[in-house]
Amino acid sequence: MASNVWTLEEGEVRRPGIVHVVMLALFTGIGIVVGTFGSLAIPLGFVSAFWPGQAVQSIGSIWFGWWGGIAAGLFPLISNSLSGSAPLPVSIAYLPANILQGMIAGWAFRKYKADPSLVEKSDWSVWIIWGALVPNAIGAAWGSTMLVAFGLITQAAQLTTFLGWFIGNTIPTIILGSLVLKYVSPLVVKAKAFCKGYWA
Amino acid sequence: MTTSTSSQAVQQGVRVAKARKTLLGHVPISSPFYKFHPVTRLIMFVFFGVIPLFIFVPEVNFALLLINLMLMRWGRVNLRGLRIYMPIIFTVAIFMFTVVILAPGNDPSYTPLQAGPITIYYQPVFFTFAAYWRLIAMLFGTILYFSTNRERDMLVALRTLRLPFIASYVIGLSIRSAGMFMEDFRTIREAEQARGLDTKAMRFSDQVKLYMMYLIPLFSIALRRADEISNALFARGYTLTGRVGRGGKRQDYIRSLYKIRSRDIIAIAAMALIFAATGYVQMRYGTFAIEHSPLNIWLRGQLGIPF
Repeated sequence: MASNVWTLEEGEVRRPGIVHVVMLALFTGIGIVVGTFGSLAIPLGFVSAFWPGQAVQSIGSIWFGWWGGIAAGLFPLISNSLSGSAPLPVSIAYLPANILQGMIAGWAFRKYKADPSLVEKSDWSVWIIWGALVPNAIGAAWGSTMLVAFGLITQAAQLTTFLGWFIGNTIPTIILGSLVLKYVSPLVVKAKAFCKGYWA
Repeated sequence: MTTSTSSQAVQQGVRVAKARKTLLGHVPISSPFYKFHPVTRLIMFVFFGVIPLFIFVPEVNFALLLINLMLMRWGRVNLRGLRIYMPIIFTVAIFMFTVVILAPGNDPSYTPLQAGPITIYYQPVFFTFAAYWRLIAMLFGTILYFSTNRERDMLVALRTLRLPFIASYVIGLSIRSAGMFMEDFRTIREAEQARGLDTKAMRFSDQVKLYMMYLIPLFSIALRRADEISNALFARGYTLTGRVGRGGKRQDYIRSLYKIRSRDIIAIAAMALIFAATGYVQMRYGTFAIEHSPLNIWLRGQLGIPF
């Protein structure tokens, strides 16, 4: 039952603890590895034709609420530096969009009581729309605007960059994110670090 | 370890560490970078990573790139390790120039030039050329830092700058855990190969699928590890605030091992001075504006394009 994943049990009290901080760090570590590999795998300039890091961002906030959202903002700072896909000042400028890219999915799954294991059709719709399409549209719009603001691309090149970014992030998000949510969520929802709310 | 104790250790058959495993490779312990405090190296990262933002003259950014490469050589970084960045360096150039040729904008002041069958516009193409070197200079500033520093160096630098315990702990553990996941990733791949999986014979689409499937065991390992680490921290009395049970401040052992010396102060002061001066002259006088590029001036002269 979808609502059971998010509903507190009778007498259940959930508080943020050190396990969440550790999970934030470990999840950031996974994001660094996935993001770095993605950027180095099929680079297309500032954008990657295959950046599965966005899937990790959305999944993180679905499972771990704001902890996943913070990880979503933090890991691209490091993975972009390691892969050479964006210098530090540009990565810092991406920060608000990266946090949003992560948190939109977490908000939508809690708001619409969707099951992270993607059981029903409605769970799939929430995932595809709020976990992949909307966050990537926002991320690509913000990212390409920042590239213009930093003088790295011209205004005229923004639309092409936006499209490359959006497609390159959305496809792996849908494929990779769906697989991970489907097969790993049943384990995660039983873990201590899983957040039914935004912080615990 | 001094030379005599080091040679004694060798005579006794003890393995002596000769290199440090940095975030991007191995660097000899004798690298001159390690004579500087980690905080100096972190400030150098910010310096080289940010200063190209003030500079629009491609020649200066190219010079910064050369300085970065010379520093890597001086710091005994294996430059062959930079080969992993070659695809991204080339594809960035291809992407930037393709985009500017296909979508140059419609400013009537642009000067059209005929390059074979295609028409390009001088101003956006030179802008892209300048932007490319700016980007590459910033990237190499970042690569220099990650090639010469360990996760521990970053941790010491952040703690020296008095970053709260929880923030420095998260950054330190996340970088360390990236290394741990790479190890796990290798273990999973070796286990697959031991069972006869030949990835070279697979189609590209199957390799992508396989890559995705690796994440499932990695996430499962992360969940188990989060429990183990948080229990270990709890058992050692760590709290989210970084204070001990009675409310006092926890001693920072790792930070006590490093001392800021006069060479650090001189290096930090020099970088701060150059950074401030560059920012000031660019914002006040536009010294590093694209119009001041010697190549731009020469090309415009040759092509008869007025400023």
